Amino acid sequence: MRDHEPRRIARRDVLAAAAIIPVTAIKSAAQPTGSVFSAKQKRCLEAFANRLVPADEMGPGAVECGVVEYIDRSLADPAVGGKAAILAGIDAVDAFAIGSQGAPLADLPPDKRDAVLTAMEKDAATGFATGSAAFFAIIRRLTLEGMFCDPSWGGNRNFAGWDLIRYPGPRLAVSADDQRVGAAVKPVRFSVNGGGNGAGHGH
Amino acid sequence: MAINLKPVDVAVIGLGAAGGVAVLPLARAGLKVAGIEAGTWMDPRSFKPDEIYNNVRGLLTSVQKANREIPTFRDSPSVPTRPRGSVHPMMNAVGGTSIHYWAQSWRLKTWDFRTRSEVIKRYGAGAIPAGTTLEDWPLTYDELEPWYDLVEYEVGVSGKAGNIQGKLDPRGNIFESPRRREYPMPPLRRAGYNEQMAQAAKQLGWNPFPGPAAINSQEYKGRPGCAFHGYCSRGGCHISAKNSTAVTTIPEAVKTGNLKIFDKAHVTRIATGTDGRVTGVTYLKDNKEYFQPAKVVLVAGYTYENTRLLLLSKSKAFPNGLSNNHRQVGKHYFGHWYGSVLALFPQDMNVWYGTPAQATLVDDWADDSFDHTGLGFVGGCSMSAYTERHPIEAAAMDTFGRAPAWGSGWKKFIRENAGRWTQAYIQTNTFPYENSWLDLDSEVRDPLGDPVCRITTGPRENEPRTVDFAQKKMEQWFLAAGALQVVRRPAIGPIGPTTHAYGGTRMGDNPETNVVDRFGFSHEAPNLGILGASVMGTSGARNPTLTVQALAWRTADRLVKDWKAIAL
Repeated sequence: MRDHEPRRIARRDVLAAAAIIPVTAIKSAAQPTGSVFSAKQKRCLEAFANRLVPADEMGPGAVECGVVEYIDRSLADPAVGGKAAILAGIDAVDAFAIGSQGAPLADLPPDKRDAVLTAMEKDAATGFATGSAAFFAIIRRLTLEGMFCDPSWGGNRNFAGWDLIRYPGPRLAVSADDQRVGAAVKPVRFSVNGGGNGAGHGH
Repeated sequence: MAINLKPVDVAVIGLGAAGGVAVLPLARAGLKVAGIEAGTWMDPRSFKPDEIYNNVRGLLTSVQKANREIPTFRDSPSVPTRPRGSVHPMMNAVGGTSIHYWAQSWRLKTWDFRTRSEVIKRYGAGAIPAGTTLEDWPLTYDELEPWYDLVEYEVGVSGKAGNIQGKLDPRGNIFESPRRREYPMPPLRRAGYNEQMAQAAKQLGWNPFPGPAAINSQEYKGRPGCAFHGYCSRGGCHISAKNSTAVTTIPEAVKTGNLKIFDKAHVTRIATGTDGRVTGVTYLKDNKEYFQPAKVVLVAGYTYENTRLLLLSKSKAFPNGLSNNHRQVGKHYFGHWYGSVLALFPQDMNVWYGTPAQATLVDDWADDSFDHTGLGFVGGCSMSAYTERHPIEAAAMDTFGRAPAWGSGWKKFIRENAGRWTQAYIQTNTFPYENSWLDLDSEVRDPLGDPVCRITTGPRENEPRTVDFAQKKMEQWFLAAGALQVVRRPAIGPIGPTTHAYGGTRMGDNPETNVVDRFGFSHEAPNLGILGASVMGTSGARNPTLTVQALAWRTADRLVKDWKAIAL
């Protein structure tokens, strides 16, 4: 089985929904094709995620790792839920960035972006339905999922997340040696839904 | 109108950890059994090492029944219910939650069955926790021992005995109550982390031992030993090394030709005659309603389902719900209290792989293994140092006050430490209280229009004190094992739905305070039996499933032995 049922259904629903919406309507909503985000929301979330996990000497940033793609696909799945609240929260991030720093998050320099995130983390940012710290925690959590998930979910592109934390990867069978304290275990890189350098999981 | 099916001897509602065991002795005895299961068979090839699928979204289930009737919960009747989560801790399938559980399979102890008497004897009546409805069980450990043994050998449990007929062996749990013989399989392989923790416990003068598990440590009954791939928690086993009832007792029962499985069958009511005897089971399958007549009905759902189904099954004989004329259904409910301590080590611990049952356990601070004089609580905790860590969970680690929670500083921290932290699992002796019970929600309903189960859990003092005590011991243990730093989480009372949920149909001799008798049959409806942790009146400081299975087998044996008296 290369994919699982809920994801397949979700994709089919998205396609079906897209088919009945006139192209002009899609353009006027300024949504990237197949995305739950408006272009503005996507820029904001990208700027946000890339401050949580910036590109640096330890590896690529969140966006390059597919975090926003992961969140987009998650929110498109009705079984996951929370879409409306998250879209509203992203809008609130930009509103707060404009109010406190003078521009939408994506248009601010890194230090000012960090000031926005820090205020949110400390629950000091205004305009969030259930508090800014709670929304910060939601985005941080989704970012973690997108950074370190199996790549078939849209994130952890090129296994950069697993490389970052030195996760040795899923393997079919694990030896006693692989479980020694301090052992350097050779990483295996494959997705459970196919792809990578491993031999697969026997599905 | 319901479609009437051919009558059977026994209808078993739910083929999970409990019902999945009970069907075997029934079918072997030649009784015709209908196993009515909301879920269906799952294909082991569909089980995958995928943290999002198994752990984040809880997608491993064959039908969505459990997720459509997640119980509501509240702290008392005077406050609103709290927001519910979207994933039920249990799942539906042939095999039920035994497909994705941790499979830690240890026995309760003599003390757990006689806690009230033993506490009074050693510490006086004043030591009984305030507000508890604690009673001694109507059976002793010794009476249940033969069924523990049967289940260990039939299902397959790996472990090391610590007390064989009174002869202690320090390689096993010297605090366990006597067993008749050794486990059928040696313990699961030790990970480096297990060894390190065992050594530290010994330095402290404690008695560590390998955790018993319903997971094969070597080939057993034609199924292979564990591959330790690290996706056991909330995941199914792709090689069937985890001994769920779907690969053990249920296939054996099917082989007899006496068990017929009705899958994707959602039971809505148990029917009762005017004489107060149950007559069969109504269920929905593919939008059609069926009635399965049966001489005896065994309810074997999860704790929340058992109480809910009885309360929903009202009749002339039982206007408050089946077997509830004494108003005891839903009472004596409790979720297992537990604690958690995190440790940061200076080297890569390699706990990525393994399985949570690959554990080093300590029982020195559980039950009544130590003198409680002056401590202000009774009971204690088992402590587990276990393996299996998934990448998202690893990266979501506590930063131990050593790094920010995001940015390059955080990246640097998790790069070094995501593989260097571990978490202990601490399980408490938990008791029932007057302020905690199950009933039907007044507003929230499932898609069929039936109210969901509602949990009310009030405050108590004994369990948080116990957790606090045990967490200090756990910190001591981690530091002795070389941890750089430890972080204690607050004591956790599971006021919401939990995988360790007890009571609601408690077992006891007194029908005024218990729903089922010492053999698991209703005090009020004599041909109704109830299986599961819903009959347990104490938790023990350990996982419930092996005890649930031993009790289920015992109830089934009783039914076979007394068939004429029970079935008429």
